[in-house]
Amino acid sequence: MRTKCLQFLLATSFAAAPFAAAHAQATNSGEGSAKPVDAARIESADEAGADWLTYHGTYQSHHFSGLDQINTGNVKDLEVAWTHFPGRTTRGLQTMPLAADGVLYYSGSYSRLFALDGATGKVLWSYIPKLDEDLISRQTHSPYNRGIAIGDGRVYIGTVDGRLIAVDAKTGKPVWDTKLINSQKLTVGFTGAPLFVRGKVIIGAQGGEWPYRGPIFGVDAATGKQLWEFDVAGGTDEAKATWGNDSWRTGGGGGWMPGTYDAASNTVWWGTANPGPLYDWAGPEWKTKGPRPGDDLYTTSVIALDPDSGKLKFYHQELPHDAWDFDSAVGEMMMINRDGRDLVVHPNKSGFIFVYDRKDAGLANVWPIVENYNFVKSIDPKTGELIGRRDMTEGKQATPLCPAIDGGVSWNAGSYSPKTGLYYKIGNEWCIDIEIVKTTPIVEPQVQLNIGANFTLRPPPNGQIAGHLDARDPVTGQKKWEVRYAQPPLASVLATAGNLVFVPDATGILHAYNAEDGKELWSHNDGLGHVGGIIAYSAGGKEYVAVATGWGSLVGDDYDGAFGEPYKSMAKDAGAMIVFALKQ
Amino acid sequence: MRIAILLLWAWCVVIAPSPTRAEEPNGSAALFATTCGWCHSQGGRAPGKGPKLAGTERDDAFIVNRITHGKPGAMPAFGGTLTPEQITSLVGYIRSLPPE
Repeated sequence: MRTKCLQFLLATSFAAAPFAAAHAQATNSGEGSAKPVDAARIESADEAGADWLTYHGTYQSHHFSGLDQINTGNVKDLEVAWTHFPGRTTRGLQTMPLAADGVLYYSGSYSRLFALDGATGKVLWSYIPKLDEDLISRQTHSPYNRGIAIGDGRVYIGTVDGRLIAVDAKTGKPVWDTKLINSQKLTVGFTGAPLFVRGKVIIGAQGGEWPYRGPIFGVDAATGKQLWEFDVAGGTDEAKATWGNDSWRTGGGGGWMPGTYDAASNTVWWGTANPGPLYDWAGPEWKTKGPRPGDDLYTTSVIALDPDSGKLKFYHQELPHDAWDFDSAVGEMMMINRDGRDLVVHPNKSGFIFVYDRKDAGLANVWPIVENYNFVKSIDPKTGELIGRRDMTEGKQATPLCPAIDGGVSWNAGSYSPKTGLYYKIGNEWCIDIEIVKTTPIVEPQVQLNIGANFTLRPPPNGQIAGHLDARDPVTGQKKWEVRYAQPPLASVLATAGNLVFVPDATGILHAYNAEDGKELWSHNDGLGHVGGIIAYSAGGKEYVAVATGWGSLVGDDYDGAFGEPYKSMAKDAGAMIVFALKQ
Repeated sequence: MRIAILLLWAWCVVIAPSPTRAEEPNGSAALFATTCGWCHSQGGRAPGKGPKLAGTERDDAFIVNRITHGKPGAMPAFGGTLTPEQITSLVGYIRSLPPE
């Protein structure tokens, strides 16, 4: 009887399969959810769900998937399910894909946009915007794209020529196309993902070392109309007073990675970039002398904005008068609760992790994830004061600056597992030899980056260049385990409820580790280094892991000189979205 | 009124920053450190994101052409920003680097 019952189930299951497949094709959906991806759905998104609806997974920004079909017991059976090549992948594939209702959405260099069947990789639609190629030929931080947003039936993408575009999520047809900044003059645009928030799209411009004001925009998601602009360099009267000689006019700033949204308080959290010039020759007299005397608000800060008005609610400047290019633009704003207190955990590029009270950005703790730093002696974990800061003057510096300009952490994201309570994050050990040079900003006829130094990547004084995946308590920084790499991995990390941590490394290997102890359980050679995102999602009831593969980037480009092969011969104009699933 | 105009002149001339086209500042080494040092490490003396420039065997015409037009996917074109004189001065700077 039992055998007959099983035979019946098998027969009916196979008979139903073609219908199920046809249904999936007709609806472009492996999951068949009837609910549109709107603000309510994103705000209530559960990490245990099948989707990945924002750059950081959910507004919680854990970069964690609650899916557990793929787990420590079966990850050895993981294999490539399908691959998609976006083409024109200059500087690698740096994107973070999104997934909704079994459809995988992702962007490539030149803002090329794709919607694929999440189970098969079949192209549902593509959107290739026409960009200002002459401008791109003049840009240094271009033409990569790091991600998209989805909401209210549209997919949103920024472009390096200063536009924000919305396309229909079902058809890929353009809905609106809004020019937000004069990239032809400024030579910067948008490379970071937008953030969808209750009928609005928020996106930050490139900035940092560019002598302008680094704006963040709020745009109406339905019409594309600009609603507000917040200028990171001198965005309020209070801020302008922190820039001597009106240097806010050429102060830099920007917010080139997406932050996240706290729905409970209707607050957008965003990280801002460094001031320009990158390096400052004022030395200890930085408060009154040099090219940008003062604290330089709101650069290298975490800011809280009202998404309806763009008004600043509160902020914390992580590095007042940042003289080292250690942005706060790293987009992770990881929301956790500890002992009844709502917190935000945010990594600064310097390699220090800041823990904030979510109500007002009051400091709860600051801890370093890197071993090699000398731009400060320490940061007071209660007040945030930079203790023993190293402010350089013109000329060659006698000792290397640590960490390197490439960052104690880079812009890609770590991952927090609510299951283990651990934060999985890459730290980088490297320094630069540096000579500070007085420069004058170039703003005519086109704006150019303003560095103010010559530098070379080098090992720390007492060791080799290295990267490490750390598993730590996100609030105290206490380390449980680590994995070391000879060359720092530059891609995002993914933790899952299957008790796995995936690390796409620089050489092209995708690793899966046990989240409890760091033991490697599986690896696969993707053939090219990784500098982008990784997610897990479900399509047709099956779990998939998608990883952006393709080498390049402003940090990765340093690897040729620092390490030689395999980077010297690694293609920097190729890439693919590689998707894994368990063997059938 | 006259005093106000005089004060405005004084502010413009003495105090206000005057970022403009990069012809004024501080020579070709400073110009290099403004825009080129991002990729060409140690002031062009070491390989980085871009190649080492010290001791290059490329001729002047090649270097001028590369700075002016760039290399798609690898190096930006600076012909729209820098004057021919500035580009020539950068060639002079590169030639001045000792071939280590």
